[in-house]
Amino acid sequence: MTPNLPSVTITGIGSVSPYGPLVGLIPQCVLEPRAITAWTSAGIRRAFLVQPFRPASVVPGLKTRRLDRLSAWALVASSLAIQDAGIDLSQADRSRVAVVFATAFGCIELTEAFYLSAAANGWNGTDPSTFPETLASAPASHVSLFHGLRGPNVTVSNKHFAGENALIQAASLLRHGQADLAIVLAGDALVQSLYSWYEVADLLSPACYNSDPLPEAGDFIASGGFIPSEGVAALVMEASGREDVRPGGRAYARVGSGRWAAGGQPAEAIRQVLGGSVPRLTVCSGNGAPCASSATAALAREISGDGAVVIPAQPFAQGLAGTGAVFHLILALDGPPITGPALLLGTAGESGFAALPLELL
Amino acid sequence: LTDIHKTIVVTGVGVVSPYGVGLACLQAGMLSGRCCLTATKDVYPGFEGTVAQVQESALDGEDFSSRYSRTDQLAVVAARDAMANSGCDRSTFRESGVLMANTVGGLTEIDAGIAKDPAAWFRRPGGLLRGSSFPVAHVADAVGEHFGIRGPRCAISVACASGAMAIALAANLLLDGAAPIILAGGSDPLCPFTLSGFNSLRALDPNPCSPFDQNRNGLNLGEGSAVLVLETLAGATARNAKVLAVLRGWAMTNDAFHTTAPHKEGSGLADCIRLSMQMAEVSGDDIGYVNAHGTGTPLNDIAEAHAYEIAFRGRNHPIPVSSTKSYFGHCLGAAGALEAAITILAVRSGALLPTLRLADPIESPGVDWLRGEVKRQPLPLAMSVSSGFGGSNTVLIFGSGLP
Repeated sequence: MTPNLPSVTITGIGSVSPYGPLVGLIPQCVLEPRAITAWTSAGIRRAFLVQPFRPASVVPGLKTRRLDRLSAWALVASSLAIQDAGIDLSQADRSRVAVVFATAFGCIELTEAFYLSAAANGWNGTDPSTFPETLASAPASHVSLFHGLRGPNVTVSNKHFAGENALIQAASLLRHGQADLAIVLAGDALVQSLYSWYEVADLLSPACYNSDPLPEAGDFIASGGFIPSEGVAALVMEASGREDVRPGGRAYARVGSGRWAAGGQPAEAIRQVLGGSVPRLTVCSGNGAPCASSATAALAREISGDGAVVIPAQPFAQGLAGTGAVFHLILALDGPPITGPALLLGTAGESGFAALPLELL
Repeated sequence: LTDIHKTIVVTGVGVVSPYGVGLACLQAGMLSGRCCLTATKDVYPGFEGTVAQVQESALDGEDFSSRYSRTDQLAVVAARDAMANSGCDRSTFRESGVLMANTVGGLTEIDAGIAKDPAAWFRRPGGLLRGSSFPVAHVADAVGEHFGIRGPRCAISVACASGAMAIALAANLLLDGAAPIILAGGSDPLCPFTLSGFNSLRALDPNPCSPFDQNRNGLNLGEGSAVLVLETLAGATARNAKVLAVLRGWAMTNDAFHTTAPHKEGSGLADCIRLSMQMAEVSGDDIGYVNAHGTGTPLNDIAEAHAYEIAFRGRNHPIPVSSTKSYFGHCLGAAGALEAAITILAVRSGALLPTLRLADPIESPGVDWLRGEVKRQPLPLAMSVSSGFGGSNTVLIFGSGLP
């Protein structure tokens, strides 16, 4: 951990994903992509889809009718993470609570809808209620508004490492005393235009076009292409020790000072970040890049040695372009019962790496 | 004593604006009182309004990738100008970070036809490339790739506070040692999507805007980009860099009030101002000028006036405030970065720019609404204020010298 700076701990987890809306860890189970029925296409198209649900049935009082699905999921996931952390926000200083949201595509569903209204009515006939909800920052804004959070409200984006970036930025806000608590969210929603872009760019796995069960994760990654996903993961992060004095408080992992870069020597930079510790577990966070996972695993072996446990990128989280890292982490936390030094590690070929040192508790 | 490892300095500023490329061009244009807002009919069919456009000649001479949207192109030009302004060789920036704000991303490259049949749209010649620039992250990658910069890259998108927030987050990351130098700023172009959106909200003034005037009638959109070269004083000293200004304080808050409207009393913004002064270890009396968000919309400007009354209560004299959006409009995700550049110019020159067309200011006894002539005075500290949809606020304090 970085010396002289307060340590940061993950104390709550919530998510909305193809596994459903969940408080805490995501139980290990087989997840198969589903056939897309929201738009017509010739032949089968599959993806890891969030099944429709009524947000108010999960979070009483939540109104999401005019919101992009991404905003609605962010509201639900943040509420579940806060619940998991055992935090009563009415007792908290909400001017000291930050929201950091990572997205690759933002509110693409309502962006698509705005374009549809422009196509139908001309640019002078677009819907005023839709426009503000198309902003990439709308989900984070709604989280602040719903929970009354008046600390920094940040939306970040990065082609490969948006999820890692949100974790790093949130930890930075906490360490610099700019917030006491941070709600970290990462995710994206899948729409027809995005799926079409992946398809025309020839990025998708053959598994998108048939109904066969997926092979084991390792074999699947080698088969080329990815299966698009959607969902939002949320974490509560706070200065270490705060959870100890809270009834129901818990700690999943401590978070060190991470790094990401678009190039350079990853192994050397990651060893610096680790400060001499050797991870007993490395979570690979390949995002939307079929070749990234094996390269990440190789880098993990180089850093940790053959004795360490390496969890490969999971197909579902891999399908979230750039924002899958938080889901990779959540999925891994329900994995092998390991404590001690760990590493969340992503690579993207020549496009760089992201590394976040962790201490599993 | 100044801790050189915890002091963030500005060692370069790059700008592309409706005045052209470069800080000198921006300064000369604004000091002359020239307004770049013009009546326009051809941004999209049916649009009639007032905007400020960057002249195409400003983008000439740069070998842009075909994947670059107009957002990317503006950012690349501003980043090049920032690096040139710093007086450093390009290799200095190899390990630098790039934090670029924007709200529009590649929407400039996409037309409404995409909605009907996305697959067919992407299969058109160039469709795939045009679509690839859509994510807001693309602008940071474009700057990084164009100049071979391989440090951390990230895009920030928090509506109209984006540009200022990119600078604030870059300062945090420099303190964390994430990179030796960070190019931080914002870029946003005019495009039918945003013009249509603001038009649908009835937020646009069809005439040149009048921020803080009792008879203000909305905002005008502009376009541009600004990029600051930021580093620690330790880093700047080690490489003998010229320090243009010191980033003395920064803060970020959220109103948690409404999706589009600011808090009526400006309380979130007032908190943000107070937090930034707390970080800078200064009082309201130490701030010599505020470059306001000042959009010209009825709700923003009155909330902002309230915020100044609250945050600067107890000052010996009214706080001098102006909105430079009256010169070239609201550049959305670039606005905070462009206004940071203008604030840096103010602390370096001591020239306080007036708000244009401010005939009948909002009644606010704690505020000295700057209008008429350029005011000149020594200016050790000045503040740049940004707010946006969703309640985001960011405040930056720049100083001409070390604390």
